[in-house]
Amino acid sequence: MLVFTRKRDEVIVIGDGIRVQVLRVGHDQVRLGVSAPLTVPVHRLEVYEQIEAENRRAASGPGAARSIPPALAERLRRPLPAGKGDA
Amino acid sequence: MTTTMPQSAGPAAVAPSNDSLPLHADDVIQFPAGIPGFELCQRFVLLAMDGLMPLRCLQSVEGPPASFLVVDPGLLAPGYSVPLSSADRARLGAAPEDPILWLVIVTIDAEERAFANLRAPLVINPAAMRGCQIVSAEARYPLRSPLVTAGD
Repeated sequence: MLVFTRKRDEVIVIGDGIRVQVLRVGHDQVRLGVSAPLTVPVHRLEVYEQIEAENRRAASGPGAARSIPPALAERLRRPLPAGKGDA
Repeated sequence: MTTTMPQSAGPAAVAPSNDSLPLHADDVIQFPAGIPGFELCQRFVLLAMDGLMPLRCLQSVEGPPASFLVVDPGLLAPGYSVPLSSADRARLGAAPEDPILWLVIVTIDAEERAFANLRAPLVINPAAMRGCQIVSAEARYPLRSPLVTAGD
């Protein structure tokens, strides 16, 4: 890991086109601004990893339909119960 | 009886959903950053599956082979609404008036229970054929929302 000490408003450049700027320094947190191309995802680590793990659980190789158990496939042919999605 | 996908990702008309936004299966949707865990999967097609509507299949056609069961979140959570950030809107090349297609990924676990990831939806802009997954700390919806179980 490369370690830098930066003051407010200072910038770190990563690769070609990624910039990280220190916007505000607080007692126990720092506000960072990140500029990056649209092809580069930029996210909080813990949130990204949580979604990454869920996507990996969801993925099938080619042909997702082959992974559906027959009984579940039969059940899915009936209307889905709406409203089960509330947190 | 098991329903199987066609062996090739050949063209098959996709029944419209989300207010009749037509997408033909042989049209490729660009995901510029892939999706978390599948960053190299940047080109997908959206396929209908015989008899399994409303579920569809989002299949990677470039990079690692991967496919995902997806469904319209509006069918699972009435009034479903997740904010689209300006960064994601730029990623989609979407003007404010462009209609957006929302889909959520469905996981089936070892016990044959199906869950939908309502927290991190896929967002597609049909006008530009671009998509992305929303990654946000906002936890308004569950990461694993039960769909149905085979015993329902």
